[in-house]
Amino acid sequence: MQNKTATILCLLSTLVILSSCATKKMFSSKYYFENEKTLIDIEQSYKKLYSQKPFSVGFTDKSFHYISLEIITDTIKYIYEFEITEPRLQDTLYKYRLPIPDIIELVKKMQLIQCIWINKLDYYDNNQKRSLIFMSMRKAVFHLPFTTEKYYILTFYPQPQYYDSEGNLLSGLRRRKIRKIKGDTFYRINDKVAYTVSDKFR
Amino acid sequence: MRLKKKIQYIFYPSIISLLILGYSYEVAAADKRNADTTPLSTQKQALQFLEIQTNLEASKFWPNVNPVTFLQNLKKNIEYPLSMHEGRSTNFCGYAALSYHPLHDDPLSYLTFMLKLYKEGKAMYGKEYFEPSKAVKLAAGTLTFKGELDVRPADQLWFLALADHFKGYLNTFNRHYNIGDENKFWPSVNFAKYNRMVRNLFNYKVTSVGADLIRPGIGDTFTYLSEGLQKGTVTVYLSNPQLYKKNHSGLKLSIPTHYIILTDIHKADDAIAITYWDYAGKTRQLFPESFLKKIIFGVSIASKRTTNAK
Repeated sequence: MQNKTATILCLLSTLVILSSCATKKMFSSKYYFENEKTLIDIEQSYKKLYSQKPFSVGFTDKSFHYISLEIITDTIKYIYEFEITEPRLQDTLYKYRLPIPDIIELVKKMQLIQCIWINKLDYYDNNQKRSLIFMSMRKAVFHLPFTTEKYYILTFYPQPQYYDSEGNLLSGLRRRKIRKIKGDTFYRINDKVAYTVSDKFR
Repeated sequence: MRLKKKIQYIFYPSIISLLILGYSYEVAAADKRNADTTPLSTQKQALQFLEIQTNLEASKFWPNVNPVTFLQNLKKNIEYPLSMHEGRSTNFCGYAALSYHPLHDDPLSYLTFMLKLYKEGKAMYGKEYFEPSKAVKLAAGTLTFKGELDVRPADQLWFLALADHFKGYLNTFNRHYNIGDENKFWPSVNFAKYNRMVRNLFNYKVTSVGADLIRPGIGDTFTYLSEGLQKGTVTVYLSNPQLYKKNHSGLKLSIPTHYIILTDIHKADDAIAITYWDYAGKTRQLFPESFLKKIIFGVSIASKRTTNAK
């Protein structure tokens, strides 16, 4: 009886370890290349829309029906939550003069690839202010209870970045220091895109 | 003549004692007056004080804090007090939130303290004597990958000095600064520590409800917070992940991790709209009252003591 319990526990532990390894591998650069076209499309549309009116958007529920919309003005940031189909969403976009069809399309594309958050992030490199586009996806559809939720994060840069021989994102050619974004190390996908797996989605 | 001298010998000690007593009484009275009055100053006074701080030399105590960028940072804090940023992925939010008080009510005392600390490596603020550790003095000005905080050396110095000085039970196992500790438990601020800092540094009358793990027994959240805003500056201690993440995972731990300054509250249909300050700017957000109640763990109201205010 004791042996049986031990075997079950062993199997379960192995399953947990294997599943975490498997998802990490699946959600690395492979995920990016499988969805590259849509991801770039989302990034480009967001960048264009952001230049008209700064905002961030993300899904707040597991079923991808509710969004959180953050409209950034000079003095204040407004955070709203809507169901995608409710008229209040369009009213709000209209109020802030955001192009309704383009935003709805962006949200639908995000829904399609289960992208839960997109925003523009400022950072400093040698005291120079720069910015990147930050996107996060839920790492695993099935989430084991009592474990921390993990997110697959992609960062898009307007200019090529420096990486070391192991693919770690560096802060600059001269300093050769591993760059941290929100406390995480990022890895190379290509010159302008890096990824990480994090327990923070934004 | 001898008799006169004798009388002098007898009375001198008594006179001196009386003088000391009188002086002590005067000091005690002054202390009492100070204890009853929150020091206040204006943005204009602070900027005038800053203008005369020319030729600030590099400090031997803070080798990585450039005097020019230090002064620029201080000026920015006085001109745009809402621009202060705790930094990305740090645990400085408690210190950023409490900075709202001096930057709005007494920027001159804040500046005086910062300049003294920079020049002399030690200084008094309110009831507290600061002499930061060597590790902290070396770290200020070197923090990177924190967003806006990267280019604000005075804020790095301020947050590090506060975290180095004030300790609570959350800091028990990490009391001495090592590189990278700004992201760990070293600067964490429990609710009692936050209230103690506001009381001791700025001499406010602080009324608080709530605790680190137990929600406050506030009946009507809206009324309590609205009335709090009438009394003074309201700090809300809440569960930050829940503020942004609603339902990505099944298991949601509700632990307070963040301090915000409430600046406005009103009812909007069946929800409550709150405006708060954190992370370098104001945010307005709508919540159902039940949700707001769920995420709030502490409310601290700092009101000015005005008994002997001029």
